Amino acid sequence: MSLSSIDRLRRWRRAMLGCVMLLGAAGWLAAPAMADAPPAADQQTVRTWCAGCHTEDTPGQFQRLSAVRKSPEGWQMTIFRMQHVHNLALPDDARDAIVKFLSDTQGLAPSESAAGRFALERRPNMPDLKLGDDLPDMCGRCHSLARVSLQRRDADTWLRLVHMHVGQFPSLEYQASARDRYWWDIATKQLPAKLGAMFPFDTQAWRGWMNRPHADLGGEWLVHGHSPGKGDFVGTLSVKATGGDNYTAHYSLQSPEGKPIGEIDSLVRVYTGYEWRGSSKVGSVDTHEVLALSEDGRRLTGRWFEAAHTEVGGDVVAERAEGPAAVFMVSPRALKIGTTSEVLIAGRGLNGTVTFGNGTSVKVLKASPTLIRASVKVNDKAAPGPRAVTVGRTSAADMAAVYDKVDRLDVQPAYGIARVGGGHIDPVTAQFEAFGFIESQAGQAPVALGPMNVSWKVEPYNADAVKAQDVKFAGRIQPDGSFVPGPGGPNPERVFGTNNAGDLTVVAGLDQEGKELRGQAHLIVTVQRWNTPPIY
Amino acid sequence: MRPLIACALALSLFGSQNLSARPALRDYILTGAKPDHLFVIDAAARKVTSDIRVPDANGIVGLVVPSPDGKRAYVLVNRMESISGIDLDTGKQVFRANLSSGDEVVHSFFSVNITPDGRELIVHELPTKRGLNEYHVQEPRFAIFKTDAGLDAKPVRVFPAPRRVHLVLPKADGKSFYALGFQLFEYDLATGKKLGERGIRNWGRPGYSTPDMLAFWPVTEPLDVFVTPVYSTLGTGKDAIAKTSLMKLDLKSGALSYQDFEDTSAVIFSAVASPRNGEVFTVYTQLSKIDTNKGVLVDRVNLPHTFYTINIASDGHEVFVGGTMCDVAFYDPDTLKQRANLKLPGCPDQSISTLRVIRR
Repeated sequence: MSLSSIDRLRRWRRAMLGCVMLLGAAGWLAAPAMADAPPAADQQTVRTWCAGCHTEDTPGQFQRLSAVRKSPEGWQMTIFRMQHVHNLALPDDARDAIVKFLSDTQGLAPSESAAGRFALERRPNMPDLKLGDDLPDMCGRCHSLARVSLQRRDADTWLRLVHMHVGQFPSLEYQASARDRYWWDIATKQLPAKLGAMFPFDTQAWRGWMNRPHADLGGEWLVHGHSPGKGDFVGTLSVKATGGDNYTAHYSLQSPEGKPIGEIDSLVRVYTGYEWRGSSKVGSVDTHEVLALSEDGRRLTGRWFEAAHTEVGGDVVAERAEGPAAVFMVSPRALKIGTTSEVLIAGRGLNGTVTFGNGTSVKVLKASPTLIRASVKVNDKAAPGPRAVTVGRTSAADMAAVYDKVDRLDVQPAYGIARVGGGHIDPVTAQFEAFGFIESQAGQAPVALGPMNVSWKVEPYNADAVKAQDVKFAGRIQPDGSFVPGPGGPNPERVFGTNNAGDLTVVAGLDQEGKELRGQAHLIVTVQRWNTPPIY
Repeated sequence: MRPLIACALALSLFGSQNLSARPALRDYILTGAKPDHLFVIDAAARKVTSDIRVPDANGIVGLVVPSPDGKRAYVLVNRMESISGIDLDTGKQVFRANLSSGDEVVHSFFSVNITPDGRELIVHELPTKRGLNEYHVQEPRFAIFKTDAGLDAKPVRVFPAPRRVHLVLPKADGKSFYALGFQLFEYDLATGKKLGERGIRNWGRPGYSTPDMLAFWPVTEPLDVFVTPVYSTLGTGKDAIAKTSLMKLDLKSGALSYQDFEDTSAVIFSAVASPRNGEVFTVYTQLSKIDTNKGVLVDRVNLPHTFYTINIASDGHEVFVGGTMCDVAFYDPDTLKQRANLKLPGCPDQSISTLRVIRR
C-alpha cells in the first residue's frame, strides 16, 4: 500500500518537529523513574510532538486537541491511539509530559470527574451511569458511560468525534443496537448537541478549579481502608515532594490484628492538582493507586489495585496526620451480643475513655493517638443496633453495630462478571463479599453489620446452566469469596465445544447456631475482553 | 516453460483428471482463512487441492465471491479495503482493487459481488476522508469495476448508495442488483438508478416487530436463491413471542418472501436453499433442516462446535459447514449425521470467511 499524501505530510512534519523518534510503549500513567528528572510539563512538548498534525492556529491553540478536556487516563488513551493508529512515534518522557500538561491545563474539575471516578479507579462490576435513554445504546454498548462523562467538548467537537468513530470503525453502524436504528442520523444530528449540553468544554467548575494553586501533598497521612476478600487495613503514609507535582510515598500498613501487611514505596504524580496516580510494588506484584485529593486538600480517597489484575484491589482513605481528633474506622464493625471481641479503633488525636454505648464494657489493651486496640464485651441485655464510638471527647456515629442474629446477607456485587483467560489475556476473577444486616424494625433503617465471615459455593443459575454443567466447567470459588474462572478457549468436553463460560449463582452461607442463613448473587463467567484500556 | 508450469498447477489444484476431458463436473468448496489463505477443497474427495496465499491480505480473507465460471475467486482482504481476484487454476492474483486512495480510506462491509456474466464487480463502498487531524465520513456509494482491469483496478462507474448495506446480490438477468441494508434496495446496474425498495425494516407483517437481520455471506448457489434468518417478536408485552423467520430472495424472479418456521429456539447465522424438496439448511452451533413447503423445522442436531457458514452440494446430496475454526464438515442432508470432517492444513482460523461452492 502506498502512503497517502496526508501520511507523508504527517510523517515529514513529525520528523521535522520531533528530534528523537522512539517507539513509545503504552503503559500506565507513569510516575517518573527514580533516577530521572521528571519530564517538564510545558506547552513546548505539545508543540513539538502534536503540532505536526494539530496545527497551532494561534499561540497555544492547537486544532482539535485544544477543544477537549479529559482525565489523565483519557489523555493517555488519546496518545495511545495516536501512536497505534496514526503511527506517532514519541519517547515515553514526552508522552508523560504531554499527559501531565494537558491534564493540568485541559483536565476535569473534581466535581466533573466525581460521577465517573469508579471507572478511573477500575472498580469491577459497577453499574454504569444512567445518562438518559439513547446514550446507553449509542455510546454505552461499547464504552462505559463513565468514559463519556469523563470528557468535555462542545457540540461541534463531539460531532468530529462521531466522524472519527465511524471512520476508524466502519462496522460500528452494523452492530446490534446500531443497525436497528438510523444510527448515523442520530449520531450526527442529535447526539452532538446533547453531549455538548451535558458535557460542555467551558464550565464554571473548570474555570474555578484550573487557576487554583496546586496543594502540596507532602507530609504525614493516616491510612485506613478495606480490600474485599482480604479485610480492613490501617497504617501511615509519608509523602515527600520531589518537584513538579511528583512525590515519593511510603505506606506502612497492617491488619486490624496488628499483622504487618507491607512497607510499600510508591512513585506518585499528581495531575490536575488532585488526581493522585501512584505506582508501587507489593512483594513481587506491581500495583497502582488512583486517589483523589479533596478540594480542601486534607483527604485522599480512592482505590489501589494490581496492575495485571485491576479487579483485585481495595478502598483507600488517607487523612492528614495533623488535624482535629477523629475516629476514622472501627474493625470489626459487628459485635455480637454475649461475646467479647477485640477491636481496632483507627483515628487521629485519640485520647481518653473509650465507650461503645449501653450494654458494653471496654478494656483498652493498647493505645496510641492513632490506634487503640480494645476488648469490647457486649452483655446479654445489650440492645441490637448501630453504635457511636467515643474516645474521650471525640465521638463518631454508626462506627459499630451490636447484633444478636444476622437477618439478611447481601452478597456484593449482586451481579458480577468473571472472564476466562486465554492468549495474552489473563483471566479476570470476581470477588464477592457478604454483608450482614439486621432487618428494619419499627420504622428504623436496616442496621449494617459489615462484611461477614461466610462459606462460599456456586450453583447453576438456571436450567441451561444445569444442562451445560456450568458449575463443573466455569471455575471455582475460593474460601475468600474470589471466583477464579476456568481456562479459556474451546473445551471439547463441553456441548458445542464451547468455552468455559457459565451462568452461576454465588451462594454465601452463614451458620447461626445450626441454621444456615443464605445470601446470593448472580455471576456470569464469560469470554475475554481483548482490549483492556485504562477506562472501559 | 510458463504454460507447462501453469498446466501442472492446474492439475494439482483441481485433481488428477484432465479438466477438458472430464465428463462429470465436480463440486469444489472455497473458503478463506487467516492470515491469507484461500483453500480449494474437492468436496467428494474430502481433500484440500489447493492452499493459495493471497498477496497483501493483511490478516484476514473475508468474503469469497467466485466467478460464475468457477475459474476465479474474488476475496475481500486488507481489513475490508481491498479486493483480490485469484485465478484458481494458477493461484495467481489477476485482479486487485485497492479501494482506498489518497486521503480517502474506503471499506466495504462484505458488500461485493459479481455480475452473472462475470464481467463486473459491484462494490458498496464506505469512504472516509482523512484530514490532517480529523476524519470526514462521506456518503456511501456503489462502485463498479471491470473484472479484466488487472492489478490496479479503478471503478468504471460510481453512484450513490444508502448507508449500512451489508450484502450485494446481482439479479440473474444481469441488469440490476440488490443491496440489503435497512431495506432491500434494487438498482440498475448500468445507470445506478434506484429501481425499487422493499421491506426489510418495513416488512409490513402486522403484529411483528421491526426485524433484525445481518447477513454477510452471499451464498446463492446452487439455485440462485438467497435465504437468511430474520429475527423479530410477534405481539407485545408478556404475550410477545420471539420468532425466527426465513427471508428468501429469488434472484431469477426477484420474488421476496418471509416465512416463519419456529418460535426462536436457536441462534442461526446462515442458511442455504437445497435443490431438493424445498429444504433449507441453517447453521450455528446446531445444524437445522427446514421444510419450506410446510414452514416447519424438520430436524436439528448439535454440532461439535460453532460453524458460521453453510453451503450445499450442487445436487443437494450433501451439506457443508465451515467458517469459525479450521475445519469443514460434511453432513448427510437426510439424517443430519456427519459423514466427514476435513481439517485445513496448519489449522488456520477461517473466522467469518464465506464457504462457497463452484462446479468444475
